[in-house]
Order: sequence, then structure tokens, then C-alpha cells
Amino acid sequence: MPAVIDIDQLTVKLGRREILHSISCRLGASGEGKAIGLLGPNGAGKSTLIQTLLGFHLPSAGRASILGFDCHKQSREVKARIGYMPETDSFIANMTAVAFLRLMGEISGLPAEAALEKAHETLFHVGLGEARYRAIGTYSLGMKQMAKLAQAIIHGPELVILDEPTNGLDPAARKRMLKLIREMKESHRMNVILCSHLLRDVEETCDEVVILKDGVVVHQSDLEAERKMNRRFVELEVQGDDSSLAQALAAAGASGVCEGGGRWRIVLPADVEIGQLWQVAASERLLIRKLSHRRDSLEEIFLKAVGHLRATPGESGGATTEVTANGRL
Amino acid sequence: MAVYKRGYQRYQGPRTSHLTRIMVMPRFSWQRLMGMKITIVVLAVSMVWPLLCAAFIYVANHAELWQGMGGELVNFLNINGRFFEVFMNTQAVFAMILAAVAGPGLIAPDLANNALPLYFSRPLTRGDYIISRLLVLLGMLSLVTMIPAMLLFVMQVGLAGWGWLADHWIYAWGVFGGFALWIAIVSLVAMACSAYVKWRVIAGALVLAFFTILAGAASIMNAVFRVDWGRAVNPALAMNQIWRSMLGMEPLEGPGAWVCSAVLVGMGTVLLAALTRKLRPVEVVK
Repeated sequence: MPAVIDIDQLTVKLGRREILHSISCRLGASGEGKAIGLLGPNGAGKSTLIQTLLGFHLPSAGRASILGFDCHKQSREVKARIGYMPETDSFIANMTAVAFLRLMGEISGLPAEAALEKAHETLFHVGLGEARYRAIGTYSLGMKQMAKLAQAIIHGPELVILDEPTNGLDPAARKRMLKLIREMKESHRMNVILCSHLLRDVEETCDEVVILKDGVVVHQSDLEAERKMNRRFVELEVQGDDSSLAQALAAAGASGVCEGGGRWRIVLPADVEIGQLWQVAASERLLIRKLSHRRDSLEEIFLKAVGHLRATPGESGGATTEVTANGRL
Repeated sequence: MAVYKRGYQRYQGPRTSHLTRIMVMPRFSWQRLMGMKITIVVLAVSMVWPLLCAAFIYVANHAELWQGMGGELVNFLNINGRFFEVFMNTQAVFAMILAAVAGPGLIAPDLANNALPLYFSRPLTRGDYIISRLLVLLGMLSLVTMIPAMLLFVMQVGLAGWGWLADHWIYAWGVFGGFALWIAIVSLVAMACSAYVKWRVIAGALVLAFFTILAGAASIMNAVFRVDWGRAVNPALAMNQIWRSMLGMEPLEGPGAWVCSAVLVGMGTVLLAALTRKLRPVEVVK
């Protein structure tokens, strides 16, 4: 099964400036319906990467392919299989939503009748059913975002590229947008690339995440595996003499680091249950004041990847792949 | 089942051919243009001259209507190259006006609303986009140029017989090919103006200004340098020279049809390059 995105030593220059520096990564698997989050600080090269995948920029070296088709050499095949929702307002202002979607559907290869039918269907799906005969220029920002999403999925693409889909949405509209994205991958088996600054959106919807910084992939991980792995990290706060706790933990098969003041960071192997910590604490006559699963949030992962947070001591990459400066995994 | 009850399903049916996709945009644009009053008015006015020409052909082919008239009138009532040249010159003006009305609404709204990424993220290249926009103007301008011209030609053949066709088939080629060249030039000018100027009215005025300014520049050149090659810079005069050659008529003074063709091809290439430069899905700031 081909990867959704396969990038090999991709270098992109805009003018004389090199934006993407020989990046390589392999993301998702065709037909699985996975969502991939594309993260990075401003100027990291996210939009350039998306635009290169769409064939808007020519790579100066390396190659990129989507669903097994080369983005540059087989551009027509690639574009027939993708839907794109741009970040900025993109529509034809004086057209009604139905006419606009019908036009986009027909350009994507839908026969005229099917395009009209799908236009209505998709507009109801994104919640614009009642406003479908209004000119898009009269829509609110949230409605325009939904119309942009509708035009990206009207032709039933295998891969949908969403650039900042929740920009400018109120909480209710944002929730609806994220629900639609989840539905796209879970119910309709579409692959999704979500480019967003809002880490929570990515965390809520994505299965994999790629972090770019200064035109280089600095982090790539499987979020689901990461979430599972993070359950094994425990933050413990005890009262009493904890001088022999390290040995007791070792005897139970776990390992821990004291951070002082009764605070511990403990790593539990897969075969050690959290309940055993209570037994260890009881045997050491310690009073547990706080016990929490330390959840490595996407924000932490992101900040670590872009160098704003130190990595947790003793933590080793499981589902996480740190990437060297030249982008090699 | 009602569409609002059905829910969204991915489309899995057959896809249309590439050519059908290219024809989608012209279809939508024609529909929009035909809904504009100004387009209908220009189209209606531009049909007056072809109707008069049709009447002229009818009279010219009915000798009984002008029996006893003077010799000068007999010479005047003749369907020849001169007749088609006059017809083409008049309709070319209407084609220019129609291009100024219809052209600016083609590309400017796409640029103003940032719609190009939506088109180019679909299986549509920049070339396809230009062709589809050219087809819009080709269709519109044909209504006032090629189609009435060919109808007049067919009418003349019908009235004068196959013998006239055998002797004068070159007129059909001249009218069809000549108008095709004019439509290409006028369309490229209209599209380039539409790509660089966002306001429709100004873009429309610029289309007309392009032809008048070049005509003025050609006259100034001829007057200042005391030459006649300046005529080649005037698209209308250059095109007229080409038409005369295609209709088998004596050329006018000044540069010949080949020189005029070369100048117009150069002009078209520059316009196409300017257009292609502007039509990018994303703006790269260097």
C-alpha cells in the first residue's frame, strides 16, 4: 500500500532562498483514513510544503509523491485524487454556494448532474443547506470556511489537504469543523493533512504529526502510539521518608527519579500496573499526596521539537522519531 | 430520498474527460454573460450590420429589383472581396466592444477572490485555464463575427449558385481565418487587461485604449519619421492588411501582410507571456 505522502530529500527554493532543506518523511498509508498534522512555527515551511505537494512550486531537488504519484511528473493524477482547502479566502464572490460547488465539482471531473447533486449533498453535510442559494460573498467567516471545506470534498477525494481550517471560527463552529474532519477519516476513509497552528485541533483529530522548523522536519510521531506510551509515565508526590523508594520501585520492576520535595517521576514498564505503586508506597510507609499519569501533550512535543522545552530525563523515543538536521530519519 | 436526509457520501462514479473539464468554465461564463443586459444590448446592436448586409446580398442577387439603374450602382451591387472587407471592418469594431464588455469579468474576479489555487489544485493546468478563458471570448465574439459572416457567405452561395462558390471560395477562408486571427488578438488583449486590472470598468476601458493608443502611436511614428511602416504597429490596420491578402485583394500601401502578421504574432506572444506571468496559484515574493 503506497504512503499517503512520501517525501525524499525534497529541496524547494523560492527565488534564491531555500525554504525546504532536503527533507524526507513517509506518512500514512493509502486507504486507511488517517489524519496527519503538519505543525511548525511561522516561516517553518508548512505552506511551501503543501504548495509543493499541490504542484504549485517546483522542487529544486528530491521528489515528493502523493498516494504513489509523483507530485511534479504526475501532477494530473495527483490533483484528481486530492481536495484542497486554502488558508485564505478563496471563492467566486458573486456565485451562489450551489453554483460554486457545482463548478468545482465539474472541474474535478464529476458529470454535470452528479456535480449538482453532490453540491446540494455536501452543502447540507457542512451545515450550509439553508444558505446554499446565497452568494458566497455574503457569507460570514465561519460559513466561508465551511464552503471552502465543501468544495474540497465535493468530488470525494482520497486525500484532503486542510490549511488552517479552524481559523476565525467561534467555539461551536470550530467543534463542528473538527467533527467533520474526524468523520472524513473515520466514516469516509479519507486521508487528511491538517496544517494548523492550533495544537489542540491537531491533537483532537490527527493520528500522526510532523513538525517542521526552519525548513527541516524536526519531529515525526504516531500520536496514538505516543498516547499509549505516555500512560506509562507517572508523576508521584509522597509524604514521608522516601530515601529507599528508588530501591523499592526497582524491586517492583519500575524505575523512578526523585525531583526533590517528595516529587517523583516514575516510568512503568508494560507489565507493571499503577496499582502496584500503591502497594510499594504502603510497604515504604509513604503517604501518597498526588498520583497522576504524566501525559506528554502535543504542546510539550511541539515545544521540545522546536527547542523551547527540555526533553524529559530518562524518556526515550518509542513512537517518536527525532529527525537529524538533514531531514534523515 | 431527499438530499438533506441522505448525508454525504464520497463520489465513486465515472469521471469526465479532460476536454469536458476544460469546457466547464466557458459554459458557466457564457451562462453568466448571457444574463448581463449590456452583453445582450451589444449583441443586438452588432446584429444590425449583418442584417443590412444580408439585405444587400438579396438585392444584389435579384437583378429585377435594380433593372434600369445606372452602371455605377450595378458595380456597387457586387458581392466581392470589398464587400466582405467592409463587413469585417465593421464587425471587428463590435467584436472589440464586446471583448471590452465580456473580457474583464473573466480573470479579474478570480484574482480578486483568490480563486486560482482552487482551480490549479484540480486537474487543470495554467494552459488549460487560459484556453478555457479564451474559449469564452471565442464563443462570444464568434456570434458577431464568424457566424454571421459564414451565414452571409452561405446565403450568397444559395442565391448565386455553386458556380459562384467555385470561383469565390477564397472569401470563406479569408473571412473565417481573418476573424479567427482578430478574435485571438482581441481576446488576448482583453484577458491581459483583466489579469492586471481588478476593476471591470477600467479593464474594459483599457481594452479599447490599447487599440486607440497603438493607432495613435502608429500615426505619430509615420508622421515623425516620414515612413509608412508604423501602420504595422496599429493592430486594426495590420489586421486589415492581412484580411485583404486573405481575400485576394490588392494590398494597401505600407508593410505587407507577412510583416503585419509577424508584428501581430509578436504582440500576441507578449500578451500571452504577460498573462501567464500573472496567472499563478500563489504569489512568490522574491
